[in-house]
Amino acid sequence: MRLKYVPVYSGNFEEQLKFYTDKLGFKIIDNIPFYEDAECTLLETGSYDVLLAISKHNLHTSFKSCIILNTDDCLNDHHVLKASGVDFCKEPQYQPIGLVAEFADPSGNRFLLLEERNYNE
Amino acid sequence: MDYSRTLRNNNKIYSRTSSRQHDLQCCADFNIRFVLSGNEGYNIGRRQLTIHPDSFLILNKGTQYASSVLSSDPARTFSINFDKQFLTDFKDCWLHKHDTLLNRQGHSQKMEDEFNETIYPFRGDIKYNVLHLKNHLDNGTQDEMLINEYLHHCLINYYKIYNDEIFEKAEKLNFLNSSTRVEILRRLNMAKEYLYSNYNKNISLEELAEHACLSVNHLLRTFKQAFNSTPHQFLTQLRLQRAQMLLKTTLYPITEVVSMVGFECPSSFIRLFRTHYKITPLKYRQIA
Repeated sequence: MRLKYVPVYSGNFEEQLKFYTDKLGFKIIDNIPFYEDAECTLLETGSYDVLLAISKHNLHTSFKSCIILNTDDCLNDHHVLKASGVDFCKEPQYQPIGLVAEFADPSGNRFLLLEERNYNE
Repeated sequence: MDYSRTLRNNNKIYSRTSSRQHDLQCCADFNIRFVLSGNEGYNIGRRQLTIHPDSFLILNKGTQYASSVLSSDPARTFSINFDKQFLTDFKDCWLHKHDTLLNRQGHSQKMEDEFNETIYPFRGDIKYNVLHLKNHLDNGTQDEMLINEYLHHCLINYYKIYNDEIFEKAEKLNFLNSSTRVEILRRLNMAKEYLYSNYNKNISLEELAEHACLSVNHLLRTFKQAFNSTPHQFLTQLRLQRAQMLLKTTLYPITEVVSMVGFECPSSFIRLFRTHYKITPLKYRQIA
């Protein structure tokens, strides 16, 4: 057993898809019909094998979610995303786990940009 | 990789590989100095400091110093000079938002004028940010906004370290007067920098106390209060930490490492290392 798809709430499907692909650089991997007449778009967020799934019909979730994206260099990715027009609601801040910034997608899902740091070295 | 970058806002960054000795110089700006490999010596007045990759030095504007490379291999150094206006803007925008961090009983005024010029530990956030910054510069980034973002964060990190190392520790001292506490801590930091710089030599308590301008008794009592360890415990910890670094990054035999970091006897070193890190030096080297 393993984690494969994470369904994400979608308010305006087209707008959200555009935000994911144009601004965040996620790649569309596939469109699969989950149920009859209900298509799901699968997106890759990096080199991981967990995919985000969004659908016009909000098949599997009716709640906004919080997704944590991992990065090697939070300040750099924050800078790049900001330049491409992503509005951050929280600028990079130091937390016990590392450096964290936060933004929301057009449907109001929260995204954390996390650079984990080892403070016990 | 050697380069120097002067940004449009006059912040300057230097990356050097050097084995030379430099003559007396005067700091044009507040600056932070790191040694990424090897080690570098600084003469500031009568103080002789050595910077290793686990520590960094800050120098205030106007300080006169002479530096030289002490290691047999060239030292790779990285330093950042902060323009006065950049510092002022940083203080205005960031410190006002976070005034709880530094506004303790009138300390802030002293803080505004001059920092405590001493050796601070190079680890945690400042290390991550400096290494990321260096990585971008090594790859030739031209994006000054990004570079300045890192510099801004280096200052945030430095203020945090300053707060932890100076004010938090000063508050542990049992003196009524807060300016006495800060003054004693300044002297204790001189003792600490002496240990950082001479860790591999035989250091007597008398020498240490003299360097810190404190009596032996006073030094022992206040050092323990501020840093939760005796000078001897601090020194042992530092030696172990540097031995760990040598085991990880060099091929020197263990007996050599033992004498390089100032321990006299390999068997007591091995015992201490094992008690401290729950692993023997040899095993540590194999998995490192």
